[in-house]
Amino acid sequence: MTTTTPNTSHETEASRADEPLLVVEDLAVEYESAGAVPWRRKVSRAIDGVSFEIFPGETLGLVGESGSGKSTTGRAILRLNDAAAGSIRFQGTEVTTLGRRTPLSYRRDVQAIFQDPNSSLNPRHVVGRCVDDTLRTHGVTDPGERRARAEQAFDQVGLSTDHMHRFPAELSGGQQQRVAIARALVLEPKLVVCDEAVSALDLSTQGQIINLLADLQAITGVSYLFIAHDLGIVRHISDRIAVMQRGHLVEIGEAEELFTNPQHAYTRKLLGASPASKPEGRDERRARREAFRQMHEAETQLA
Amino acid sequence: MTDTYSINLTRAPKPEKGTKSPSSAKRIFDRVRRQPLTVAAFFVIVFLALVAIFAPLIAPYDPNQSDYSTLLSGPTSAHWLGTNDLGQDELSRLLYGTRVALVVALGSVLIAAMLGVPIGLLLGYRGGWTDRLGSRLVDVAQALPGILVALAVIAILGRSLWTLMFAIGLIFTMGFARLTRAVTLTERHKLYVESAHVVGMKERVIIFRQVLPNLVGPIIIQAAVFFGSAIMIESGLSFLGVGLDRDTPTWGGMLSGAVEHQAQQPFLAFAPGIAIIITVLAFNLFGDGLNDAITGGVRKSPRKKLTTAELPGMSNAPTASAATLPGQTYSMGAQDAATAAPDATSPWDSRADEIRTPTGATETLPDPVEGAVLDVRGLSVSLERPEGDVVPLVSGANLSIEPGEIVGLLGESGSGKSMFAKAVMGLLPPRTRLSAGSIMFDGDQIAFQSQRALRAVRGAGIGVVFQDPLSALSPVHTVGKQLIEPLREHKGMSVAEAKERAVELLDRVGVTEARSRLDHYPHQFSGGMAQRVAIAMALAADPKLLIADEATSALDVTTQAQVLDLILDLRDEYGMGVLLITHDLGVVAETCDRAAIMYAGEIVEVGTTTDLFHAPRHPYTSALLAANPASDAQVDRLPTISGRVPLAGEWPVGCHFANRCAFATEACTSAPVPIVDQVRCVRADELTLEAVPR
Repeated sequence: MTTTTPNTSHETEASRADEPLLVVEDLAVEYESAGAVPWRRKVSRAIDGVSFEIFPGETLGLVGESGSGKSTTGRAILRLNDAAAGSIRFQGTEVTTLGRRTPLSYRRDVQAIFQDPNSSLNPRHVVGRCVDDTLRTHGVTDPGERRARAEQAFDQVGLSTDHMHRFPAELSGGQQQRVAIARALVLEPKLVVCDEAVSALDLSTQGQIINLLADLQAITGVSYLFIAHDLGIVRHISDRIAVMQRGHLVEIGEAEELFTNPQHAYTRKLLGASPASKPEGRDERRARREAFRQMHEAETQLA
Repeated sequence: MTDTYSINLTRAPKPEKGTKSPSSAKRIFDRVRRQPLTVAAFFVIVFLALVAIFAPLIAPYDPNQSDYSTLLSGPTSAHWLGTNDLGQDELSRLLYGTRVALVVALGSVLIAAMLGVPIGLLLGYRGGWTDRLGSRLVDVAQALPGILVALAVIAILGRSLWTLMFAIGLIFTMGFARLTRAVTLTERHKLYVESAHVVGMKERVIIFRQVLPNLVGPIIIQAAVFFGSAIMIESGLSFLGVGLDRDTPTWGGMLSGAVEHQAQQPFLAFAPGIAIIITVLAFNLFGDGLNDAITGGVRKSPRKKLTTAELPGMSNAPTASAATLPGQTYSMGAQDAATAAPDATSPWDSRADEIRTPTGATETLPDPVEGAVLDVRGLSVSLERPEGDVVPLVSGANLSIEPGEIVGLLGESGSGKSMFAKAVMGLLPPRTRLSAGSIMFDGDQIAFQSQRALRAVRGAGIGVVFQDPLSALSPVHTVGKQLIEPLREHKGMSVAEAKERAVELLDRVGVTEARSRLDHYPHQFSGGMAQRVAIAMALAADPKLLIADEATSALDVTTQAQVLDLILDLRDEYGMGVLLITHDLGVVAETCDRAAIMYAGEIVEVGTTTDLFHAPRHPYTSALLAANPASDAQVDRLPTISGRVPLAGEWPVGCHFANRCAFATEACTSAPVPIVDQVRCVRADELTLEAVPR
């Protein structure tokens, strides 16, 4: 299913020269649901046979509709879900067999930014503390050093030290997401899983956060797995894009290539359904969708 | 981008950078202060505590000192509450009894919390088999009658203060465990807990340092309620004679003595009885009040009756409302009345003049639009916060929709777009209300109407589709029932007719096998299909106006395209007006004929979709278009709008967008900016804004 397109962008060419940072191979994740009786649980696969690589300094976009398994893939990499089959190798180390306690070294290298900035911060703690706790967990015992590094992280994401003493509810959504980014980046990770990291933000704030993520990548060389349902954002930020449908990865390729020359029928459908940024040609687009729908209906009737 | 009002309800006004913001404790304190009963209960508790502490100083006698000359005396000047069968002073015993009551209550609740909270945390956090087994055990323990448990414990360990506290504590342990487990279960799945995992924190650290602080509120409330119960149980045990020994004065023991001698001295039961009632009541009321203050709940009916007298600035206005005076459409808008109503003798004119902008920046309201299906003029909505202050959410909004026209209302979260729609539907949430304006629907005034009058209009003329179809449909009735009932009510159809029409409607909105789907419940539909059902319901009464409030925001792009296409098809077919509320520029670009851009409670620009996208006249519209990452253009950095939207209650006097606007001058900030020629910008005529500056 995987289509490998030749390298076009010089940026990715440079990074391709390195070893991949993360290799996901034939990954499957299962989830249990209640069966007819409590001890009989139904098992179904949320994702199956998912394979991709992320190179150092690269942003891989992961798109798909709800239920396509894109978040599940990210959660498996973060070890919030167990893999049922396949492998995830980070810098050559197999991650799926690490056992119940994830080594701190992996936690340091792989961080996350979640969708809802409001609930990803502990409402009872001032936001400075979440960065402080993170450093403490990773063995930074000297409070002075913790403070200095936290201040530096806040400064990096465009917040002042004054913000460190506020509670999450006293910050705007964009500011909350900046704190979440500070927490993720204070450990200087190599990979950050951004799970719908800007979806809950307003349009005017989205741009700020996307620019911030790009700036930080330029400085630190961090890689992103950027999970989103909004194709416009993914196209803007990603070097390569992977498309998922019903638990399978159906297409992966260079971002521009995938947008201008989609190979898989589902990718075409997804692109066709995304609202355009201008009203021009909307009647034609509507007509095309209508034709597509009728064709699809005719197909199902024949079948 | 949903429910903006709920955020506004709980969020106190934000101070400027650098100043200390009010802590949540202060906010809770402010709310408690507004509840007279809770304050009274608090003072009773403080009084009881003082009595308990200073009992030896206040009590006129030693509680165990017997005066055999006055047995069972009843109230006298020497013994205000009389004496018991041993001649001991009842008042002194009552005062000392407070000590036992409070100490036992405090001790038992503390013991219960120390045992129960960790159990609940563990069960809730671990989940799985630990939880299933543990919770059943807790349930079994909870099912044992409390008094029996206490009796058994006392029988085994003997009578003492500690045993009593432990025995009563055990009864409440399970209560704490269940509560803690329930709250932990919901907290466990929150993202901050997952973030803590990703950061690498140990389980113990996550449970006690991350989760536990979030449980403090509910635990304290529960403790306050248990406090009252503990006093009841302690009294009960003492009454039965298994509490503390007779030498220790307790309220229960006093009652028990009173019962023995009630034939000789009936007065004895009153003092301890009343003491118990007042104490228990005080703790329960305080617990409830605290709960309300923390959760922001309100006991009293939040929606005041909308009578003219209660509207701001309307106390001396005639009681007749706008609709009853044809031609006089602005009876409610004090500010607008001054500019719109030509009759200078109007009793509220003087008042209106004071409210009007000092610079005389008058806003000329548009003339009523003939033939419009919806014509909203000067609409203002305000919110009354639990703290008591009133903040505007929407101010002076004008918008009209012609039949067959799709008009978009575009805004970011907190812009007031949903409030606008809710005001039009007459479905404003509690604590918010229409403060001014006129809403003409198909020639009828529907602003400031009774719910009953609105029901007829809403049911027959306005169809509504919300963001979440599953919350808009009743989960306990089949889709068929929900479609058929309104048809029968509003159209007077027979059951068979209504059923046929329901099938037709479902078929029309693209629900396959419509007839068999009538017997299905909403949860059996996928998100997109459920939204189609919601649209079918909205169509049931042949509405002249369809309001879609973020109707496609929760849907996937492919489903969103289908639902938008359906709305376009239905508009073409039925010729109804559509008000499409959205935060998505793409949705406006794909579907709307015209659109209004809303920012911080004001409509800043109205125009045809093509004009808005190609020749925006308001700097905000232009900035929004530039910030759209969905644009086809490839740029390294996205243009952004610096700063953030001012929240309701913090709006500046002048242009709401001025502090983020690249073109702002002094004139922008000094006075309110009226909407002139469909744009609310002082410099609209001198600025040439690029559509997409790339």
